[in-house]
Amino acid sequence: MKSGLRNLAASVAVTALLAGAGQAAAQSYPIDTVTLVTHSKAGGGTDVFLREMTKYLGKHMGANFVVENVQGGSGAKAMAKLATSPADGSIFYGTTPTYINTSLLSAPDYTYKDLSPVTNVFLDPQIVYVRASSPFKTLAEVVEKAKAEPNSVKFGVTTPGSLDRQVMEKFKAITGVEAPVITHDGGGELLISVLNGTVDLGIGEIQELSAQLEAKEVRLIATYTEERLEQFSNVPTAQEQGIDLVVNKFRGIAGPKDLPNEIYAKWEEGIQSVLKDPEFQDWYRAQSLVPEFMPHAEYTKFIDEFAEEQQVFFKQYGITD
Amino acid sequence: MEGLSYAWQALTTTPAVFAAMGGVVWGILGGALPGISPSIAMALLLPFTYTMDPIPAIVMLASTYVGAEYGGSIPAILIRTPGTNAAAATAIDGYEMQKQGRGGEALGISLVSGVIGGLIGLFFLVALTKPLAQVALLFTPPAYFALGILGLSVIASLSSGSLIKGLMAGIIGLMIAAIGTDPISGVSRFTYGSPELMNGVPFILVMVGVFAVSELLVQAGKPEWNKAGEGEVQTRIKLPSLAMLKRLRKPQMIGSAIGLFEGCMPGAGGSIAAFMSYNEARRWSKHPEEFGKGSPEAVAAPECANNTVAGTALVPMLSFGIPGSNSTAILLGGLLIHGLQPGPLLFEKHPDFVYGLFGGLLVANASLFFIGMLVLTPAIWLVNRPKPYLMAAIYALIFSGIYSIDHSLFDLYLVLLAGAVGYVMRLCGFPFLPLVLGLVLGYMIEANYRRSLLLTGGDHMVFLQDPVALGLLITALVFVVGSAWRDIRSARRKATGGDGEGGEVRP
Repeated sequence: MKSGLRNLAASVAVTALLAGAGQAAAQSYPIDTVTLVTHSKAGGGTDVFLREMTKYLGKHMGANFVVENVQGGSGAKAMAKLATSPADGSIFYGTTPTYINTSLLSAPDYTYKDLSPVTNVFLDPQIVYVRASSPFKTLAEVVEKAKAEPNSVKFGVTTPGSLDRQVMEKFKAITGVEAPVITHDGGGELLISVLNGTVDLGIGEIQELSAQLEAKEVRLIATYTEERLEQFSNVPTAQEQGIDLVVNKFRGIAGPKDLPNEIYAKWEEGIQSVLKDPEFQDWYRAQSLVPEFMPHAEYTKFIDEFAEEQQVFFKQYGITD
Repeated sequence: MEGLSYAWQALTTTPAVFAAMGGVVWGILGGALPGISPSIAMALLLPFTYTMDPIPAIVMLASTYVGAEYGGSIPAILIRTPGTNAAAATAIDGYEMQKQGRGGEALGISLVSGVIGGLIGLFFLVALTKPLAQVALLFTPPAYFALGILGLSVIASLSSGSLIKGLMAGIIGLMIAAIGTDPISGVSRFTYGSPELMNGVPFILVMVGVFAVSELLVQAGKPEWNKAGEGEVQTRIKLPSLAMLKRLRKPQMIGSAIGLFEGCMPGAGGSIAAFMSYNEARRWSKHPEEFGKGSPEAVAAPECANNTVAGTALVPMLSFGIPGSNSTAILLGGLLIHGLQPGPLLFEKHPDFVYGLFGGLLVANASLFFIGMLVLTPAIWLVNRPKPYLMAAIYALIFSGIYSIDHSLFDLYLVLLAGAVGYVMRLCGFPFLPLVLGLVLGYMIEANYRRSLLLTGGDHMVFLQDPVALGLLITALVFVVGSAWRDIRSARRKATGGDGEGGEVRP
């Protein structure tokens, strides 16, 4: 796929700091070496996040953590590996919405249902942006204009199967506006489309836009988050603007089915203390990641609900039958 | 002038010179191995640059890109196996030259053209980044659509003598391009429930199949195939003579001009530039009848184009922070690692870095020439080993290379299938180039056609209202009518007893 080039690049950056797996410390995890599997290639978004986190996991959980890239089939191979591995706490998987989508779209031998969500770690905030010269200052103005003149406002999103497209389709359903949703090959192409006026607004992630934001070429008009973002406290959320839409692009950990309860407990404890580590905080704040810890029970429910929503969306838009 | 001193400083106070040369060597090796694309070669190198200083680190990655874009042409010429997507255009005439025993000459031409293209690309990158960045903004969906149509119009002129076969091959290419996920709605098409096909058929598999595997099949089918090649064989690289250089000037200019613009546009990239310049070189050549039969111009133009792209592809990456390809995405990652955020402010905030990078690229392109000379001699020696060993080794090289991309057996079957299709096409005298063009351009044409209509609510006038699109469509029309006129004239001449041009492709 041609998507996510920009994403890939943005996140490659962070691997800079990877110094290998952490050292075993005083805390006791029953396994010496824990493998974290990702479907992303070395330098990809999830890969970078996991590698960065392993530095602190080692310190806080008392085990060695290594990241293994199992590419292929957009997560299908990684899921198969996890589902057929022993449930002893020695191997885990870095989750993103991709693994749900692949399960639903490609019908692989092993799906997200063969894995057990352990904890969630982050949410990637989704934001709405316009070019600097755009007349739109808020999302509410967009709705107003699109209602007054149907199809006059053009929405740009990344790939057809992406979460952003889904969000904009939902946005249309909630607000009742009529507007074409133009899909692109990736975040970079979308940014060009916004800059040259092909589309009126785009949806994306802060990391992809930071250079343009700094140069004041683009402007944020809304975030699809529960609360305002720390670094962009003047940008109101969609909810504040009367549009009840929150996007949960998650990043978490899943393992093989039927892990011992002790393992879940260790992870819940470990992730919570990792999220409080000041060095790690510096990193994820710079990435505009929102920490969103969810314990095992809550995360399982969250994943099931997420998958259900995806399924409904894919059916509705004819992506699956 | 300030820039010059920054560049000088970078070259003299950091190990950028060595980084550039190391990158070029690694890039040539990666590019020459089928399966290791420029982006994979760069990704493999990336972790080693983490601990380096920013300038040598990025110079090394960018030099790998330069080396790999050139390296792809070596197996394309010697064994008809494009090492990179962009080198597929080089394989057509380059391998013909090799078969005629002029492989050393073809390699010399591709090396010189690659270096010239790289230097021209670098010159424009340094001199005109800001205005060139605007090129990316000029291209809206209707313009991309028109660009694709202009590319396809080439089929008309490439298939003279067998227009029907050319069109059929082009349509097969477009059909293959339609396999996979629908670019607008995301629905799976023609995948028949196979998850492997969801992301479409990768270009490189088809190219390796139709070019390399079919050639191996054809050779194995010849009587006494295992005897050494007939006639004299060049065993050394032969640099083009002055007269040849003069002849190559035009195709090289064409290649650079096309590479210049394609590089600035995200998503266009090296392979489209290479194919378009192959075609344009033919269109403007004094000897168009040699194309497809071992024309030196046909090697020079695409090689010049894809190395120009390696320079100008940095324009949108540096000035917008937008990578147009996998390779520039990895380069961008390298920048971010070192805390350099490419974008509108990069030139103001880090001029030392930008000009240091330019200086390093200059070293890379210059050293490409010398390193290329060193690499080519053993490469030529290798392909002059006894044929049975050589062919077995090529199969092993192709399959291990393809398998290494995704660890997928399915990909190997696709290559074999493409090889079988290519074999049948050659037996029936179908040209390959239209197929490859349809495959490479199909996605761009379809996606942007539909995007344009979505934007206007179905109004086709948009293609005439967008000035860039209109200009490109008119050019395409002129070309199609022009080559149709030429064909009709030559057909008439043939009918009245003249010799005519004859078929493009020999089975």
